[in-house]
Parts: sequence; structure tokens; C-alpha cells
Amino acid sequence: MEPLDNVPSNYKICSILGQCFNNLSSVYLSKHTVTNSLLAVKKFNLDRMTDEDLKSLHHEIVCMRQLRHPNIISYESSFLDCTDLHVVTPLMGFGSCKDLINAHFNFGLPELVICFILQDILNGLQHIHGKGYIHRAVKASHILVSQSGRACLSGLRYMCPYSPTRKKVHLFPSSTAYNLNWLSPELLEQNLEGYDERSDIYSVGITCCELANGTVPFAETPTTLMLIEKLAGATPHLLDCTTYYVDTGQDMGEDGEENACSYISEQQTQVLTSRKFSDSFHSIVELCLSRDVDKRPFASNLLQHAFFKQTKKCSTSLSEMLRPALCLDESNVCEINNELECMLNINDTFSSSIQVNKTEWKFDSLDDEVK
Amino acid sequence: MGDKEDEVDGDMISIFHRVDSDQVIYDNKTIKVKMIGKYVMGDLLGEGSYGKVKEMLDSETLCRRAVKIFKKKKLQRIPNGEVNVDREIRLLKMLAHKNIIGLVDVFVNDEKQKMYLIMEYCVGGLQDMLDSTPLRKFPLWQAHGYFLQLLDGLEYLHSQGIIHKDIKPGNLLLTLDGTLKISDFGVAESLDMFQPYDTITTSQGSPVFQAPEIANGLPEISGYKVDIWSSGVTLFNLTTGLYPFEGDTVYKLFENIGNCVLVMPESLRQYPTLYDLLEGMLAKEIQDRLSLAQLRQHEWVIHYPPIDEDPVPVPPIKSDELHNMTVLPYLQQYHYGSSDSLHSAYITERELNELERQQQQGGEQQQLESGDDPPPPSPSPPNEMKKASWKKPTSCLAVKKFSSCRPS
Repeated sequence: MEPLDNVPSNYKICSILGQCFNNLSSVYLSKHTVTNSLLAVKKFNLDRMTDEDLKSLHHEIVCMRQLRHPNIISYESSFLDCTDLHVVTPLMGFGSCKDLINAHFNFGLPELVICFILQDILNGLQHIHGKGYIHRAVKASHILVSQSGRACLSGLRYMCPYSPTRKKVHLFPSSTAYNLNWLSPELLEQNLEGYDERSDIYSVGITCCELANGTVPFAETPTTLMLIEKLAGATPHLLDCTTYYVDTGQDMGEDGEENACSYISEQQTQVLTSRKFSDSFHSIVELCLSRDVDKRPFASNLLQHAFFKQTKKCSTSLSEMLRPALCLDESNVCEINNELECMLNINDTFSSSIQVNKTEWKFDSLDDEVK
Repeated sequence: MGDKEDEVDGDMISIFHRVDSDQVIYDNKTIKVKMIGKYVMGDLLGEGSYGKVKEMLDSETLCRRAVKIFKKKKLQRIPNGEVNVDREIRLLKMLAHKNIIGLVDVFVNDEKQKMYLIMEYCVGGLQDMLDSTPLRKFPLWQAHGYFLQLLDGLEYLHSQGIIHKDIKPGNLLLTLDGTLKISDFGVAESLDMFQPYDTITTSQGSPVFQAPEIANGLPEISGYKVDIWSSGVTLFNLTTGLYPFEGDTVYKLFENIGNCVLVMPESLRQYPTLYDLLEGMLAKEIQDRLSLAQLRQHEWVIHYPPIDEDPVPVPPIKSDELHNMTVLPYLQQYHYGSSDSLHSAYITERELNELERQQQQGGEQQQLESGDDPPPPSPSPPNEMKKASWKKPTSCLAVKKFSSCRPS
């Protein structure tokens, strides 16, 4: 495929898809008028960004351009329009996994879906690690799913290089407050021991819990408590009938005051106690979340895990499994877009300045990186 | 010493047999979390004339930090104390470089008359590392690595018109990943932007690292070359474990520096390029002394020495080689509340013995003081204290409000 041009007038903005980059940037659905293809465009107001954010954005673009892999979000082009930098990436029709959970799978994605996604993510990670980088921000909101059901890693701005001579990394990622729940104990520990690429594997484990449970472990926990629990070796797990018990012995528990998990609703309890994840799923998560780094496998080892056997005998496609979530593609975008044009009579490109981000269109399945 | 009230309540009573509260004179090590803004305070890292340096943890980002605590009373007793601190803050706020210590936050507590400088966390200084080795020197390749970083930092400082004036191993700190950070800008000087020359008039740095022009008391000194000289003395020290000039008294020392009769140790003769570099940096006359640009071109600087020896590691702090976070016990106390098993997990053998000793002393004192027969204090350490069992954490979701300081 030929690289896309960087002429602002060739990109027609259709609608806002969501926020990204810790809410510093908005993602727009847009159409490249020359090739008639749909794309995602991230818009950054450079004037309003701090030096640190700019550095981080620059780092992200450099990383995206360096790492070409089907399971890593690719960089297509970028252009300036006044003080706004627009970064063009392919449209990921299903949005992020976090969006899928928020919109349609509040109590978690089905195991088979996670299996497919995890396989893609591990392939992406294997590539990143092979190039001498640690991702450091693997989480559901950084996993985007394309129309064809391919999962891609994004959020590359947190990546850091590590030396191939097996020396450990000691750098603590900056502006990482949003990712703390996913980070490995050895990274958070910040001692002379340091961490390596297996820190990402721990994040994969946490992400598995997030995808399966619908909420990230330690979600309601103060950061400092999360820290001491992780360092003490507390390991989160998948919630199903084998791991989640309803405390019926105590009367007081029913008020929800005494119960530690009071934020879990009755409906959720029902879902949790009636489902069962496979043993291999439980075991792969446990492996990923080993407190002892030497017991934690590398991405390449994990790909050999028995958990992935189920993908081979599966005939349904990921997009079918994700129903009722709808993929944003040519067919439904045209519709929406026509309506949009009728309503606002817009036919503008970047060179004109009509703001379309005030429309109240909601694309449930497509918010990139909501927090 | 702990407050009497503290010993009365809590389960401590059951551990230490029956001892009346007024007889207990040991500190029961009540761990209490202390916050400065969003930072959680940890243990002491070091102490200087101005005050203490403690570890901190940013409770929002979980990034480790250090805090330099200045007490107004103490500062007033040091000549130029307050002026130096003000200057240090002003300079650090201006500076941003990989090899310069970063100032993250400043807090002032008027009530306590204290000032808190939140800085980047460093695991140790080159001086501590030197002191931990028998020969008090680094392998050449390790010293070379630090020297290159020192040059980077110095180049940046001088480009900003700042003379550090106190370059020495003790002021060169290392982060966890081994990045060198020039620290302590207490006596640094910022040149006027429109000043034609880098002339400075005063210097308050450490005597052994002072240049001859300072030792001789010249009224006007070239600032940049002063830092070159002290970097030369530093490199001399890092590679040989010796100082180029010594003296029993400061007067004698300054006389030796002023005369500048440099006697190179024999061991340096096998490294002619290093020998040449040190001679160039420790040249008595300013015009003969190498400039930073010349240093960059120097043979020894360009060529990396072979890695032939194991590096000198950062020495352990309180026998912890990994330099783990020291805020953890405070956080545990805060989140889980006081608990015996938890408590004992952080009492070391030494502390245990210390406790025991103190306890016995307490008993003796009591006996001396009063004629009555007091209940004998327990001579044997309580069994519970030996078991360092980890209390399995339970999910606790309560969020307490941290008390905090007012940011300046």
C-alpha cells in the first residue's frame, strides 16, 4: 500500500470518535477523499501541550514508524493544520477493548474472544520485545480491534528501550498515573533489581482479568494500597464460579457495608457465579501474574500455552462473537455520514473551519482510550 | 522515646509481659504515615548540616522521590545558610538536564519553620561508593563513565552561565539506572547574562577541591576554570583513591595547592593519556588549564577503557542491597492499621537486641530509682517478635484523607 499523503484538504472529517492521549487529543473518523478510505485521525493542539507531552507524542510517532507489525497500530501519515497536528492511523472498527466492555460487555468478554485478542497481543509484544523495547502500558484501552477482528496494540508512547545484553531497566515511566493498576510489582518497586520485558507479561495478566471481569483489578483501591498489595504478592484472578464466592453466612453482609466487594451488584454476582472459565485460562493468567519474575514466561513461551488451542477449532469470526457490538465500516459510516451532512450541511475539509465536534452523535463502539 | 500514652494502648502490652507504662522507656516504634502534600514520607537517607534528606513516595504516580528538609533555625546558625538555600532553589528551578538533579516540588511549612525540597530519588553518591571499597577508587572504565556524565552536566551548567563551585564525589549522585546527577547547588553562582567574563569573587566549596587561585586568595577568579579544576581533583580521586594535594590543616593544604607542586602517583604512569588529562586539568595557570571543549577532544575521554574489572556497586543502606522503598511499613500501617505480626515483620535482629538491652536498662534504672520491688522486666525477647510472618492482606477499600502540608 502506498503511503498516504499529508495534504490536509484530502482528509474529510466525519465525526468525533472519542478521546485519547489522556484526554489531550480527540480522535476523528475521517475519509481520505483520494482513496475513499476511512481512517482515524488524532488531532493534537500543539499550542496547548506541555513540553513533556510533546516529547511523549514525538516518541509515540517514532515508535509507531519503527515497529511495523500487523498487531501493532500503524502510522499512516501526519499533517499540520494551523497549530493542530493530525496523526493518521487506520480505522479500528470495533474501537478499544475498553470501549467494548463499557458498551456491551460490562461483566467481561467471552473467553474465546479474549483468547483471540490475547494471541494477537502476544504476537505484537513478541515483536516489540524482539526489537528491544518494553511496552509498559498494556491494558484494555490500548488494545484496538479492527473490522476483521484483528487486535492491535497502541499506547506506544510509554515504550522504553532495554539493552539486549540482559541488563535490567530501572527507569520509572513518566506520566504513568493512568496505568498504575496494570504495572508489574518489580517495575513499581523501583529498587536496584530493575525489570525487563516480562514486566509486560504481568500487564498482560492484569489485562486478561480486565477483559474477563469487566473491571481492572485494584480498580477501587487507593494507589498506595495497590502498591503494597502487589509487592506483598497479592495476585488478582479471573472471577467465575470457582473463584468468586458469595458470602451468605453473614447477615450483615447483605447490607453491602461489611462486604469487601460491596461494589459488585447482584446482577454481576449472578453472572460471575454462573460462568466458568477453562482451567487453561486460569493457569495462563496465574503464570502471567507470577510475583517471581523468573517464573513468568516470555511472550514467545506463552504463545505455546494450551489456552490457545481453542482458537484452532473455532470457525466463527471474532466480529460475530462480538455481537451486539457493531463495527464501524463503509456501510454504516456512509449512512451516518449522509445523515450528518443533511443535518449540518457540512461538506468541510480541514482547510475550512466549521467545528463538527459539537454534534451529539455517539458511537458507542468507538472510543479510543477513554481514560 | 515514645509517649507514655502510646505504650498503654495497643497489643504491645501482651508482647512485653506486664510492665507498667511509666517504666517503659524504650521507643515502641510507632509507625505513623506522614504526608507532605501528595508525598508519603519514608526513612532517612542522609543528613547534612542544613537538615535531613528522607525518602518520599509520590502517592499519585508512585514514583520514588527524596526530600531535603531545611529547618529555619538550623539555617540561621550556618553562615549564609538561608541565602544559599534560596539560591539553590532558584537555580534548580531554572535547570533541566539529565545529569543535573531535578527539583520536583517545594513546600513551606510556616508553622514548623521548615522547608521541603522534593527532588529526584538517588540511590547513593560516588563518595559513599568509594568509601565502601578497600582501595577507595573505581575501575577505570567505571570512573570514565561517570566522568563523561559529569562533563555533560557541567557543559550544560556552564552554558546556562552557572558555576557549581563545589564539584566533588560527594555531590555526584546516582539514580537507580546509574545516571549521574550533579547535586547541591548551595554555593553555586549564576553569572550575569551581560557580564563579559566569567569572573567570580567568592568561593565556599570544600577545601581539597579548591583551585590554586582560590587557595592563594586572588580577588578575581575565572569561574568556569574553577569547576574544571575541581572536576580534575574528582577524577584524580575516582581513579587513584588519593587526592592530588593534602595537608594536615586547611592552611597547610591551601599552601600546597597554591604552590601547585603536583606529584602524580606511580600507578598513573601506566596510563599516559589519563596522566596527561589530569595534568591538563590541574594546571596551575588558568590559561594552561584545559577548557571543557578541549576536554571533549582529549584522548582519554574519547577512548573507552576496557571493562576489565567488576564495577563498584552502590553500597547497601541499612543492609538492604537493593535499596527497597522505605515507605512501605508506613503505608502498611496506614492501610491495614496496627498489627503485631505486621509490626514484627519490620523489626530486625539488631533492633530486637537493642530493644532488649534498653528494656533491661529500663529495669535497672527503675530499681535504682525506687526502693520498691518493681515487676521484673522481661529479659527474653517475646516469641512473637521472632516470627516475621506476613499478614495476608485483605482488600480494604476505605479511603482516608491524608493530612497534608500547605504547598508554597
